[in-house]
Amino acid sequence: MDLEDDTTILTTLKSFNSFISRPEHPQRLSEHSAGSGILQSQYKRSMELLEAAERVHSKNRYLQLDQEKKQMELSHKRARFELERAASDSARDLEHEVDRNQELLGQIKKLEERAEEVNKKLTEQKEANDALQKNLEGLNKTLEERDDKLGTANQTIRSLKDEIRELRQKIQNQDSKMSAQTLENQELQEKIDLQQRKYQEVSQLCQSLQAAQSSCSDHIIKIKELERRLVFQEQDFAIVKTVKSEVARVPDLEKELKRLRDDNAYLRESRENCSLLKEEVEGLRKKLERMEKTKEELINMELEKERLTEKLHAWENLGQSTGLNISVRSVERSQSELRAELTQQHSKTLEEQKKREAQDALVRRLQKRVLLLTKERDGMRAILESYDSELAPTEYSPQLSKRLREAEDILLKTQSHNAEMEVCLQACINILFFFALLNSVCACIFFLRQKIEDLERERQRLEEQNNILEMRLERHNLQGDYDPVKTRVLHLKMNPTAIAKQERQQEVEALRQEVTRLRDLVRSLQSGGAVGHSQDDTHNPSFSLSLAPSKEVLDLRKQMESSELRNQRLKEVFQRKIQEFRTVCYVLTGYQIDITTENQYRLTSVYAEHMDDSLLFKKGSNGSMQLMETEFSKTLGEMVALHLHHQKSIPAFLSAVTLDLFSRQTTV
Amino acid sequence: VCAWHPCPSTETALGSSDNLEHRRKDRQVRLAAFGINSILYQRGIYPPETFTRVTHYDLSLLLTTDPKLKSYLTNVVSQLKEWLFECTVQKLVLVITCLETNEVLERWQFDIECDKSAKESSAPREKSIKTIQHEIRSVIRQITATVTFLPLLETPCAFDLLVYTDKDLVVPDKWEESGPQTIDQPEEVRLHSFTTSIHKVNSMVAYKKTESA
Repeated sequence: MDLEDDTTILTTLKSFNSFISRPEHPQRLSEHSAGSGILQSQYKRSMELLEAAERVHSKNRYLQLDQEKKQMELSHKRARFELERAASDSARDLEHEVDRNQELLGQIKKLEERAEEVNKKLTEQKEANDALQKNLEGLNKTLEERDDKLGTANQTIRSLKDEIRELRQKIQNQDSKMSAQTLENQELQEKIDLQQRKYQEVSQLCQSLQAAQSSCSDHIIKIKELERRLVFQEQDFAIVKTVKSEVARVPDLEKELKRLRDDNAYLRESRENCSLLKEEVEGLRKKLERMEKTKEELINMELEKERLTEKLHAWENLGQSTGLNISVRSVERSQSELRAELTQQHSKTLEEQKKREAQDALVRRLQKRVLLLTKERDGMRAILESYDSELAPTEYSPQLSKRLREAEDILLKTQSHNAEMEVCLQACINILFFFALLNSVCACIFFLRQKIEDLERERQRLEEQNNILEMRLERHNLQGDYDPVKTRVLHLKMNPTAIAKQERQQEVEALRQEVTRLRDLVRSLQSGGAVGHSQDDTHNPSFSLSLAPSKEVLDLRKQMESSELRNQRLKEVFQRKIQEFRTVCYVLTGYQIDITTENQYRLTSVYAEHMDDSLLFKKGSNGSMQLMETEFSKTLGEMVALHLHHQKSIPAFLSAVTLDLFSRQTTV
Repeated sequence: VCAWHPCPSTETALGSSDNLEHRRKDRQVRLAAFGINSILYQRGIYPPETFTRVTHYDLSLLLTTDPKLKSYLTNVVSQLKEWLFECTVQKLVLVITCLETNEVLERWQFDIECDKSAKESSAPREKSIKTIQHEIRSVIRQITATVTFLPLLETPCAFDLLVYTDKDLVVPDKWEESGPQTIDQPEEVRLHSFTTSIHKVNSMVAYKKTESA
């Protein structure tokens, strides 16, 4: 709006100026025109314009002031805002300070409290101190008392020591008395010993007397016994003499006895055989009954067979009579069946018959045996009866019978005596046997003891081995060994070690894969930089991600190459152009200008007589060219003086030189 | 924390001995779990920040928060409880293997002598919290004490739990037979054996000798 205002102001001013300037012309042209009315109107117009300008100016001023006012308000607001902020900050700071103040107050209070507590503790400590001091004083008092007591105790000790001395003296006196008494004691003891020995001897003598007496009585008893035995023996001898003759018969009787015993045994066996045979006979009778039953069955079967054959005939007749109704095959089948049955029955009957015949033969044999046995039995009975009859008295004289009876009695007695002797023999045998047994037992014991010792040694050895093995087993158990027969070691399949190993394996695999991938990538990058585009197609699609940067790289490389090419081309172009320009210069000016070093230029003329005839010019710091001394320039001293020193013109000098050389060339 | 019920402060006597037996086994199994957690923490198998302090029996004990490890431990521990009840467990072994060389570096072995007749013999009396605490403390103290002389585990390691059982046992679903995983020429240290109410547990640790320069 300012600009607009300015432009309006400017435009108004311009129009005003234009207006002011314009009326000059119309004034010149029409001086004696309308006159004062026009002038008045013009003046009015100019006044109006002035007023308008003033109005515009004032408006402008007003606008400016308005703007300034607004700016000032803005700045006021900003200032207020900042002041408010500052106020809030200061308020916050105030609050912080207040809080801190309060905290510090609180800390002060706490410190005061602590100071009070400390004071209290101090007072308590002081009280404790006082108490302790009192204790100390009390203890000191007790100490003093104790010292007093110690003094009294010492005194008592001294008195006691005196007493002790007196007592010791008494003891010594008593000791001497004691020793005297002990001596007396010893003498008395010796006397007592003597008496005791005498007493022992006497008692021994008594004992020996008693023993002798008892032995005497024993001997007397033995003597009586022996006398009795003698009497008995004499009687026995008498009896024996009388019986010797009768005793001669004893061996014969024994032989008979033996024979009778054998017969008895044999009879017992035969009785057993009889019983066995009876059982056999019973079995055979049962078999017989069964046989008879089978016979009956056989008969029945034969009857049935006859009936069946009759039936067959009847059927055949029937068949013959009514041959139409009955089928031949079934009849034949029944016939064949019947025939088979028949043959079976035949065979059965034959078997039964054979069995029966065998059984009959057996029965006959057994019957014969039974007859023989019964005959034997009768014979035995007869023999026994004959013996009995023999043994019956055959009417000898009564004396003989009496003698017989006496002989029988004697026999009985001898038998009893025999029995007794046998018993004694048995006892002796038993004793011998017992002794033998004892010996054997002793030998056994000895043998067993040795065996026990061996076994003990073996056992110890085995125990040691066992201990060693147990220790080894213990060690192995500690190390974790186990008996596969009895124990098993179990663990969860998904255990942390297995999981960790798996993860590790997977990591390793992944790393390997990445390593191979990176290797390939590196190789591709190394080769891809040299070749360029064509490599992209041959790369693995999996490397597409990694090729993205390499593609950029390739693009950049391409750009670089292109820029280099461009540079090179530009260089070539420049060189060509420069070369052209130089040749043109050489051709046109007749001088070849070379830059030898910085700011030094060597000019060689086209008409130079020698190759190294050249002029050297140096560019000074202020930009002016100065000629340097050369071999060639020495020969051109005149020209130098004229053109350079006098005329101060290098081109003139150069052209003079050229003309000079040209003239020399052409003429020569 | 593993999914165990919070234990009462004193275990009172119950009429049926079976329930008491279960409680006993429960306690032993918990003891085993505390011991295992303590070993894992002390030997640094898992980083110490994965362990949290938990209060059981008025004691502050360390238990792991790693969920995989927790699930593994609950599996093993529940199976172990069953086997303990049947008295078919002979040993419990914690094996620490180096992951780089696959060698066994440490072997913590707990021989369990199960008193099969103890089911009815000991009277069902109260087992006070003090005895329980004493048991737990003794276990953990021994483990902590052994750390002073065991060689440092510098390579990454993993652990495994092995159970020595009777041969005629039916192998459960997720378990398999493994070797004893013994150490080649170990150093063995016997730890102080302790007795619980029915078991006598002999513990020992075997470790591979470090080649001292």
